[in-house]
Amino acid sequence: MKHLLGVSALIAAITLAAWAWLGTGFDKLLPIRASEESFYVDRLLGMQFYVIAFLFALIIGFMLYSFIVFRRRPGDDGDGDHFHGNTTLEVVWTVVPLGVVLYFAVLGTGYLSDITSPETDELVVEVTGSQWNWRFDYPEYGISSAELFLPVNRQTVLELTSIDVIHSFWVPEFRVKQDAVPGMVHPLRITPTETGAYVVRCAEICGLDHSYMLADVSVMETADFDAWLQSQMAPPTGGLAEVGAELAQVNGCLGCHSIDGSENTGPTWLGIYGEEVYLADGSEIIIDDAYLRASIIDPGSQIVAGFENVSMPANFGAVLSDADLDALVAYIASLGKDKE
Amino acid sequence: MSASAISQAEYEQQESANRLGLWLFFASEAFMFAGLLVARFYLWGDTRPHLDQAVALIITAVLLLSSYSMNRAEVMIAHDDRKGFLNSLLITAALGVVFLIGVIGFEWQGHIRPTDGAFGAVLYGMTGMHALHVVSGIVFIFIVWNNGRKGHYSADRHWGVHACAVWWHYIDLVWVFFYPALYLIGTAQ
Amino acid sequence: MVIFSLGIIRGIVGQIVGTAVGLILVTLIRLLMGLPAWKAEPAMIIGALIGAVGFMIGVGALSDWFKWMGGKETPMHHGPPTDKPAWTRYFSVDYNHKVIGVQYAVTGILLVLVAGSLALIFRTELAQTGLQYIEAATFNTLFGMHGIVMIAGILLGVGGMINYLVPLMIGASDMAFPRLNAFGFWINVPGAILVISALFMGGWDTGWTGYPPLSVLAPMGVQAFMLGVYLVGISSIVGSANTLVTVAKMRAPGMSWFRMPIFVWAAVATSIIQLTATQLIGLSFLMVTVERVLGMGFFNPVLTAHAIEVGSPPGNVVLFQHLFWFYSHPAVYVFILPGLGIISELLPVFARKPLFGYKWIALSSLAIALVGFLVWAHHMFTAGMEPFLRIPFQFATMLVAVPTGVKFFSWVGTIWRGKLEFPTPMLFVLGAISVFLIGGLTGPPNGTVTTDLYLHDTYWIVGHFHATMFGGFIFPFFAALYYWFPKATGRMYNERLGKLHFWLILPGFWVQSLGQIAVGLLGMRRRIADYDPALGIQNGHVWITVAGYVIGLSVLVMIYNLAWSARKGPVAAANPWRSRSPEFQIPSPIPEHSYAEAFVITGEPYDYGLPGATYVAMNPSAAPAAAD
Ligand code: HEA
Ligand code: HEA
Ligand code: HEC
Ligand code: CUA
Ligand SMILES: [Cu+2]
Repeated sequence: MKHLLGVSALIAAITLAAWAWLGTGFDKLLPIRASEESFYVDRLLGMQFYVIAFLFALIIGFMLYSFIVFRRRPGDDGDGDHFHGNTTLEVVWTVVPLGVVLYFAVLGTGYLSDITSPETDELVVEVTGSQWNWRFDYPEYGISSAELFLPVNRQTVLELTSIDVIHSFWVPEFRVKQDAVPGMVHPLRITPTETGAYVVRCAEICGLDHSYMLADVSVMETADFDAWLQSQMAPPTGGLAEVGAELAQVNGCLGCHSIDGSENTGPTWLGIYGEEVYLADGSEIIIDDAYLRASIIDPGSQIVAGFENVSMPANFGAVLSDADLDALVAYIASLGKDKE
Repeated sequence: MSASAISQAEYEQQESANRLGLWLFFASEAFMFAGLLVARFYLWGDTRPHLDQAVALIITAVLLLSSYSMNRAEVMIAHDDRKGFLNSLLITAALGVVFLIGVIGFEWQGHIRPTDGAFGAVLYGMTGMHALHVVSGIVFIFIVWNNGRKGHYSADRHWGVHACAVWWHYIDLVWVFFYPALYLIGTAQ
Repeated sequence: MVIFSLGIIRGIVGQIVGTAVGLILVTLIRLLMGLPAWKAEPAMIIGALIGAVGFMIGVGALSDWFKWMGGKETPMHHGPPTDKPAWTRYFSVDYNHKVIGVQYAVTGILLVLVAGSLALIFRTELAQTGLQYIEAATFNTLFGMHGIVMIAGILLGVGGMINYLVPLMIGASDMAFPRLNAFGFWINVPGAILVISALFMGGWDTGWTGYPPLSVLAPMGVQAFMLGVYLVGISSIVGSANTLVTVAKMRAPGMSWFRMPIFVWAAVATSIIQLTATQLIGLSFLMVTVERVLGMGFFNPVLTAHAIEVGSPPGNVVLFQHLFWFYSHPAVYVFILPGLGIISELLPVFARKPLFGYKWIALSSLAIALVGFLVWAHHMFTAGMEPFLRIPFQFATMLVAVPTGVKFFSWVGTIWRGKLEFPTPMLFVLGAISVFLIGGLTGPPNGTVTTDLYLHDTYWIVGHFHATMFGGFIFPFFAALYYWFPKATGRMYNERLGKLHFWLILPGFWVQSLGQIAVGLLGMRRRIADYDPALGIQNGHVWITVAGYVIGLSVLVMIYNLAWSARKGPVAAANPWRSRSPEFQIPSPIPEHSYAEAFVITGEPYDYGLPGATYVAMNPSAAPAAAD
């Protein structure tokens, strides 16, 4: 009995210390909360931390106590107390944890439905991942963007997909994440609650530059957001090449192709138009419009020598229209030799 | 284990361990075949490709028949009928070869290619994996046949024959699951 | 040449020759078919497979079976080779389970060293933001290689413990199938060689999980990695079947199921998982292989024109994840169950008390193994499976906490009111409990979907699994090494170096895993070569790296200690720990045929403190008839 009191005191002390620390320190363990979902996630995580702290103290308390109190005295080589077990105890420590985990599972189910259920008047944004770029389309407005703009306090449904490998959309301040899977569209619902600048960080390994698959996020007041929409919906000014430059930006071409001749994952675009290029199969080809188009929609068919071990997403044909292709080709052509 | 050097009791003890080991191996393989079936239902759902039903029916019948001759072989060696035993083995192997010819020579020459999306992948994946097992069974049969020819089995010591026979039945049984999954369930596209 | 008398050398030569044969074969076939002669990948695959067979032939693991096929008899040779030095048996095919156990364990340690060194390389890179020492492509290869080589190392370590201990503990002369046992060990060697050779084939960038489509697009290294894992998987399957048969058929008289040493229960539960689930990782990797080389689109969502014409549905990338995790989740319990078995085995000895709740512990191993089959999709909460399916998997996942908890509480019950002593193995056991506790307790937050949506693919997960694997495998494995070292070598290890090892690795581990957990919570993603300084995690990363080096150093201390003591250490007594287990009732080192005479079990295994209680009656004629 004396021992039980002692160990209980020890456990209580560790638990209370941990709880006290959690009470002040929990928020510092995580990024700020910037979406409605983040509050649910943090609440559940916080509760789990309290339980974890207690359970940790429970086991460690018993161990520390035994370590000190039941250590063998020098010269004593007798045995410990002889008992084999206690069925009541076993049942208790089966049933109580069972109750605890079931409680959390039920609670978690409720929270999950809270953070995934749709509201009316959602803003729809189509999100397309590709190696190593995020592209955002606002289908209701016909806008494409390389940066995600969101109105504050309005639920947005991100419709995630990918044209090559699996990526994962994650803004730590919004907490929730969802994979962008090729061949499928998965919704992710977010209601931002704080205006400001954030970063989408791709959370699923997607090849070479996975670390740098980032995109900026701006959460704005509704009025600012509307103003942004208006500015984007204005018809494009400038020539075909400028439209192409914009497209190259939005689709992440520039993540792999430089326009200043520097080395990158793919061949540079500077001064290639009209030039001869060696292909991996040894043949030689002149870069013209037809070759460029073919290289974009079916990059596997003609592989540039020296780039056999890397690949360009094979599926751009699915997201680029004919007009887009014209613009991109015009843009690459405009980077022709004279700019060298 | 050598057949003559040990006593009958030892032989039987070893055989009971062998038998358990073999069945555990079956359990293991069952998970792999089940994985293929899962892939079939996951990818095909309630559709399936147009395949040659006649060929499928014939090769299924052939394979089932081969199980019978395999069973005969085992019964015959248990009754010390060496000749019948060897012949039944050969018949079984021959039926197995016919089955393979049906799969590779006919089914694989149809209009579905391996690169045809989920149809091609699952069809060739399942039949290919099964065919590989049939090949292993035929090789096993020939080893047993060869040893049998040299007189290595007796009425009360023929674990090798038994193992070969159960293995063969097992491969048959797998086909009993694969056949409807590939040819019967779902509507043909 | 003398050196060719070593099986392993012949094996490696065989592997090289086999690989060459494979390469030439594929090239010839392609020439005959009128294709361009050289295509690296098919050639490499066939080369690897024939190479593996070449290794097995060279090392001699197939010789007896070839003879059986020809109908010849093959008497088994026992004892050290007659015409060569005794140590050579460790480098050649040997059928004694104790030799095989040592082979497994030593190879496992070697792999842990290799994998740990890789970790130290990329940890050095991660100590600062930006890229300083290695390129992104190298980084990506390194963490995947680190992960899979560690896992292979664990599987071998587990194999080592099971092979060495199970027959000893149940009083069997050997495993049920000694040749299969040798085969099961040796197949790992070409497997490991293949996995590591991926470094020289362009590496790969998918991590150990190999998700398509990335693994379909990745450099050829991914193929070497997958084939290597396939071979290691074969070892798991044959080894577990062997274990199950051994336990079922070869227990000493009187050893009923509930009188087996508790480790044997863990071995049984582990083997059930390995026997069955392993097939699924093999299948999933095979599917990726045929997708890469034959274009079979199991996981390809894009259809060819002809496929559309025949009306085929597309492939599905999520299918891979189901198949993969159906193995790889239960596999994590393969890593820990033997380790937890070691904990349960050693605690009574050093507490001088019966194991608290023997039956509960024994059955909880089975419960963990079985429930473990129902939770695989908790790795896929964000992967895009049917959303409602996440709920049943959430419930199932949470349930695993219950049998695991039973173990913890029973351990506490075992040390309570004992007479604890703290030699190195006991320290590692207590360390293991504390470490595994934090690993386990970080599990349920991953298991509830809502929180996992945040935690998934962050360093929180990395912290979670390093803690579970250190606590569930590394620490208990080290405990086992020290504990059975005298039985295996006949000499004692150096206690002071042992304690040094422990007091380095314990804080090293805590800093490493807590550091990983902390940076993960702040937003550090997994598998990135470079991170954003804005997250405020730089100091954390420095700590993790330093801790990694401390752990590495401590392991070197252990290796020095064991290598030195095996030759120069003080001669060990037969039963240095006053254990009741059968293997401690015979001399150290254990003789070639462990038990000169079969023994009989006459009591409970852990009746420490009960005067006059016997467990093992070494002299059966004098012993009373076995109860129950
Ligand atoms: C040895 C290995 C090991 C072990 C034992 C575990 C044990 C557990 N794991 Fe872990 N896990 C891994 C290795 C392991 N895991 C690995 C390698 C990964 C990552 C793979 C990858 O992506 O690369 C992973 C990832 C992983 C995920 C996926 C996370 C993600 O990617 O998003 C999840 C999700 O549920 C999870 C859950 C659990 C749970 C619930 C347990 C439970 O078994 C824990 C049970 C134990 C306890 C809970 C503590 C003791 C219990 C008590 C004291 C009783 C009272 C307790 C309560 C009332 C809660 N693990
Ligand atoms: C048993 C399993 C195990 C063990 C023990 C370890 C040990 C270590 N792990 Fe490992 N780790 C994994 C299994 C393991 N890991 C897995 C499965 C992954 C996931 C991979 C993936 O995402 O795909 C992972 C991923 C992983 C990551 C995340 C990588 C990423 O996502 O980008 C990190 C980062 O900190 C890390 C660090 C470490 C460190 C520092 C150690 C240290 O403890 C290592 C200590 C060092 C040694 C033990 C070596 C000692 C040797 C020497 C000092 C030199 C002597 C050398 C020779 C003789 C050859 N590991
Ligand atoms: C993930 C990296 C990556 C992205 C993103 C990418 N490419 Fe490429 N691209 C490559 C690589 C690698 C090659 C060389 C191999 C080949 O020819 O297929 C290449 C080749 C090309 C070529 C042929 C160039 C030459 O010198 O012959 C063109 C044109 C091209 N890409 C256009 C584009 C356009 C347009 C986009 C965006 C819509 C894009 N690429 C996005 C990697 C990429
Ligand atoms: Cu995209 Cu990682
Ligand atoms: Cu898991």
